[in-house]
Amino acid sequence: MPSEIITLQLGQCGNQIGFEFWKRLCLEHGISPSGVLEDFANDGMDRKDVFFYQADDDHYIPRAVLLDLEPRVINTIMGSAYSKLYNPENVYLSKHGGGAGNNWASGYGQGEKLQEEVFDIIDREADGSDSLEGFILCHSIAGGTGSGMGSFIMERLADRYPKKLIQTFSVFPNQDEISDVVVQPYNSMLTLKRLTTAADSVVVLDNTALNRIACDRLHIQNPSFSQINNLVSTIMSVSTTTLRYPSYMNNNLIGLMAPLIPTPQLHFLMTGYTPLTSDSDINSQQPVNVRKTTVLDVMRRLLQPKNMMVSTGPDKSNHHCYISILNIIQGEVDPTQVHKSLQRIRDRKMAQFIPWGPTSIQVALSRSSPYVQSNHRVSGLMLANHTSICSLFERALNQYDKLRKRGAFLDQFRREDIFKDDLTELDESRETVDCLVQEYAAATREDYMQFSVKRGAGSADSKSEDCRSVTSGGA
Amino acid sequence: MSQGKIVGTDVAGISNSISNIVSEMLICINGKQLPEVHGKICEYKILKQLSIKEKKEGSNLIQHFFQQYKKLTLIKMDPQARHSLIKYLLSIADKSAANGEADALPQSDNLSQILSSRVHSTNGSSLNSLNGNGGVNGGAGYSYNATQSSIGLSQQSLPNYVEATRKLPESRQDIVTNAIYSFTGVQGKYLKKDVVTGRFKLDPLNIKLLTTGQAGMLLRLSELGYYHDRVTKFADITTGFNAMGCIGQALISKLKEELADFHGQVAVLHDEMNSFRKAQMNRFPNRDSELDAADELTLFKLLAWYIKPLHRMQWLTKIADACQMKKGGELASTVYDFLDNGNSMVNKLVEDVLTAICGPLVRMISKWILEGGISDLHSEFFVESLNDVGADRLWHDKFRLRLPMLPKFVPMEMANKILKTGKCINFLREICEMQGVMREREELMKIMDNNVAQFFSYTPDTSWHVAVETCYQQTSKHVLDIMVGPHKLLEHLQGMRRYLLLGQGDFVSILIEHMKDELERPGVDIYAHDLSSMLDAALRCTNAQYDDPEILNHLDVMVQRPFHGDIGWDIISLQYIVQGPLATMLEPTMPTYKLLFKPLWRMKHMEFVLSMKIWKEQMGNAKTLRPINTEIEKASHRLNLFTSEIMHFIHQMQYYVLFEVIECNWVELQKKMQQATALDDILDAHEMFLQTIKVGCFVSSKPNVEHSLEVVYENIIELEKWQSAFYKDCFKELNARQELAKVVEKSEKKGVFGLTNEVILQRDHEAQIFAEKVDIAWRGLEVISSNYEKAVSSFLMALNSSHDPNLQLFGTRLDFNEYYKKRDTNLSKPLTFEHMRMSNVFTLNNRNSRFVIHTPTTNE
Repeated sequence: MPSEIITLQLGQCGNQIGFEFWKRLCLEHGISPSGVLEDFANDGMDRKDVFFYQADDDHYIPRAVLLDLEPRVINTIMGSAYSKLYNPENVYLSKHGGGAGNNWASGYGQGEKLQEEVFDIIDREADGSDSLEGFILCHSIAGGTGSGMGSFIMERLADRYPKKLIQTFSVFPNQDEISDVVVQPYNSMLTLKRLTTAADSVVVLDNTALNRIACDRLHIQNPSFSQINNLVSTIMSVSTTTLRYPSYMNNNLIGLMAPLIPTPQLHFLMTGYTPLTSDSDINSQQPVNVRKTTVLDVMRRLLQPKNMMVSTGPDKSNHHCYISILNIIQGEVDPTQVHKSLQRIRDRKMAQFIPWGPTSIQVALSRSSPYVQSNHRVSGLMLANHTSICSLFERALNQYDKLRKRGAFLDQFRREDIFKDDLTELDESRETVDCLVQEYAAATREDYMQFSVKRGAGSADSKSEDCRSVTSGGA
Repeated sequence: MSQGKIVGTDVAGISNSISNIVSEMLICINGKQLPEVHGKICEYKILKQLSIKEKKEGSNLIQHFFQQYKKLTLIKMDPQARHSLIKYLLSIADKSAANGEADALPQSDNLSQILSSRVHSTNGSSLNSLNGNGGVNGGAGYSYNATQSSIGLSQQSLPNYVEATRKLPESRQDIVTNAIYSFTGVQGKYLKKDVVTGRFKLDPLNIKLLTTGQAGMLLRLSELGYYHDRVTKFADITTGFNAMGCIGQALISKLKEELADFHGQVAVLHDEMNSFRKAQMNRFPNRDSELDAADELTLFKLLAWYIKPLHRMQWLTKIADACQMKKGGELASTVYDFLDNGNSMVNKLVEDVLTAICGPLVRMISKWILEGGISDLHSEFFVESLNDVGADRLWHDKFRLRLPMLPKFVPMEMANKILKTGKCINFLREICEMQGVMREREELMKIMDNNVAQFFSYTPDTSWHVAVETCYQQTSKHVLDIMVGPHKLLEHLQGMRRYLLLGQGDFVSILIEHMKDELERPGVDIYAHDLSSMLDAALRCTNAQYDDPEILNHLDVMVQRPFHGDIGWDIISLQYIVQGPLATMLEPTMPTYKLLFKPLWRMKHMEFVLSMKIWKEQMGNAKTLRPINTEIEKASHRLNLFTSEIMHFIHQMQYYVLFEVIECNWVELQKKMQQATALDDILDAHEMFLQTIKVGCFVSSKPNVEHSLEVVYENIIELEKWQSAFYKDCFKELNARQELAKVVEKSEKKGVFGLTNEVILQRDHEAQIFAEKVDIAWRGLEVISSNYEKAVSSFLMALNSSHDPNLQLFGTRLDFNEYYKKRDTNLSKPLTFEHMRMSNVFTLNNRNSRFVIHTPTTNE
């Protein structure tokens, strides 16, 4: 079937958010936890075959591959009501089940070892689709499996399916709390490199911001994983809604991503969603504070930093700007309102845009599922390419530099194959991320057109010398 | 004794009164009053006076007579009337002489002699002194008269002049008969027709037999005959001067009816006449009896009688005259004009006539709107069926209003309703093949056919109008139900919107994906049958599969005949084939759809090229080409940014066209379709929808807009070519390097020095060439991008200076962050604050017109 998308869920975090995502999709498409289409869901307005396919008995199976090195989360999933939904062949658990121990290198290494089995599954899924459009990867960048194995799989996918798009939903660690994973900065850095080089688009899900939003906007004191994951699943489902409810535009992944991403590197997208309600609000039957929602309200709120699912830190220089914005608006929308709202935003200069090229707020009006009731008349998701996202990478760089300077916790890395000889991989990753930060910074300036990467001292030379050294080495 | 008194006063009185009468005549003649009437009255008075006077003695009146005679000769008047008056005078003088001096009347013989001599003697006396003389003479006469009367002449029975006119009853009857004959246009002894004018004139042979009064009266009465003749002529179809067609026939028959009526009335006169004659015959012995005088038909009586029929005949003549050579509705309009008459008799008459002639028209209408039939031999119905138009164009072209035949009193709205009603019935019968759908309409039929007069009522709220309205409503509802119901009109419109106007985005992209090889191929190598299977595949695997298969069956791929250099994109298009009743409805809009499909398809083409080829390749190649990134960065970075610039343009363009233009108007159209009460409401709304979209899609807009858009598109194609060439070079270089690296690696393993200086030099040389190539490519890219920018600028300029607020806003959207504005100072001109404010006010005005400020027209 057309423009299919295969979802890969990696690691603990990836499988959790993936699980929530599929739960949500099932709800929206009227598919029961066992994959059977509910009686009420037969109006044929939606396109299920992007994410699902049908078994011989017509029950729906998600195009999902579940991968983990430890059984805990997957066992939970397989123990839930949704266990029958997944194709059991697509669930891959590492034999020894020891996990990656929050070690990127371990995850990467195991990924390499298990690649044949994993790619058997992926290839089978890919062959089973008419015209595969791409992959969606769910993972976190801080852990071991999601980051390490995820990185490996990303690289292999880019190699193996160069014509297919790779989109990731990458969970960034919470900066506000001290992580129990001490090597998190290394993990992040190494994963960030792959996200930069191998992925085509990365939707950044920043745990810091998600927690903050849960506290501030949803008034949950100690947000649980499932509450956070609920937010994530909302974002994931809404960002794919134009694929699932096709209308006149943005009906495939490329149509969604291409206008957002100007250059191959600047593909880290922020999200924002409004209005937010948590499950508890709905379940508690309490009088929820339901606000009036109009298109303008929604679009205005989406531009507010506090609704962003990425914590970018204070913008000191105040020069960060939007490279591109796509607003997916759902609900009862009067088409003329969109027009007016855009005009208003422009007149009030509510958003700052890049100076080096034309850009604007794109709007995609999407139908929403008729089976999911919402308190709000209009809701909106923003996918934005904003230069301030580099502050996230800067932060990661800082943390990495702190550890790296001291050379702390490198032992467990050295144990793995990739770092057996030296730690260049780490430095290269750092450099790639540094280039990325540079490019984002450059994108705020008018002379971005003339931008070229200034690599760290010696690294540019070393690169060019690499070639030479090969030759000279031969000589 | 009383007699004497009278005489005493009378001698002067008579002379005075006669002179008065004569002078009155004089005034009348000079004063251009109708001489006939006064002349008649005068004559009558003179006769009366004379007859009175005769009873008195008037021996000395000779002189007086003479004076009158002289006066009469001086007065300019109808010689006949004068002649008769003089005759009277003479005869009176005669008689008075004869009666006055019974024995000795020597002068009587030569009275004329006397008169003539007197003429000569008093020739000198002026007219002015006539009255005075009259008075003096009258005075002299008085004494004389008195003596005469005292003699006792008054006892004698004197000839009564009124009686005298009756002296020859036969001739009088003849005259009356003649007059009656003339009513029906029959010539008689006294009245003959003028060959040229057709008017009656007195027969010069018999004119002497008539008194002047009789002659005048006869002439007047004969006018009726003239009009009768005219009407008869109009009623006679052989003359060629009559109204034509069915409605003309109705008029003619109405005229004939009127004539028959009139003939009946004349026949009554004849009857009266005859019965009087008979009575007279019987009473001949005692003919002095005055009893039958009342029964006698006199010219006076006829004069009294003939006014009404004359009036009627005159109006009929007028109407018939105006209707000559006319037919149908035109005729009805003509007659309708006469209805505006204050005279109630005329009004009634015209109404009768109009009712009569509208009969056929109303029957035509009821046949048309109840059965859809036209039986219109003379093409006089205001609905026209074009025989050479086939059934396939029944709805739009087959029937039309024949405006000249539309009666004035039928308003256009009504006419259209009538047209549509019949059209609907025909449509149902012929296209939908539904026989006898419109039953149980006898009631309506009855109402319509029985209330012909309401057809031209001033207020369109009569039962006839209500019946027509009901009929219209019922029929159009019926057609609407059938079209919307079994024939799924709305679904088809939806289908066309989805597939022809590319509303079903996923379908279009999949279709393009499936056909991409074909689309790139030269036009001559493309065959429609290959494509239709691809279309089917695309339909099967997108959401279109949930659409009604009946709708999908109408969708087809069309391949135009390729011109030289055309590729698939240029000649492949989608079409929606409609058949049966739908075709009749939608066929005329198909060219518009074709026209609209073109730019939409082109836009999708551009999007496809941009995202599926250019952008995707960039993303993929960026990964692969990373090793040589630093060398190609200059060009590839520019390429990326340029691509994103175009991408922005194309996406905004698509959004504008697909959403703001098509989607918004579609919502509007759907609203209208829900409210529609008649099929034409839907079709009109649909037509409007297409027109709006045509404007919005820049189809047939200003040439410069279209041109700059085309340049933009051309540059995209150019970019695609450039990019593939660029990447080809890049990969060549990359491969060369990798080859070299492999060789080095191999030789390293062997521990052999694998590379010669030559190889290295050549490699360096190639790398140098490559660097140059990149540089050249970069320049080429700059050329493309500057061309593109120019085109976009002029496009933006056209948008900004357009008067359509929607286009202006689209212009600002395309330049949302004012990138182009900063680069091109010209662009900011129409975007000045003033201008923006104005356009804002202008757009606000549409909703709340509190401030009405007229935007100044900018020529920039």
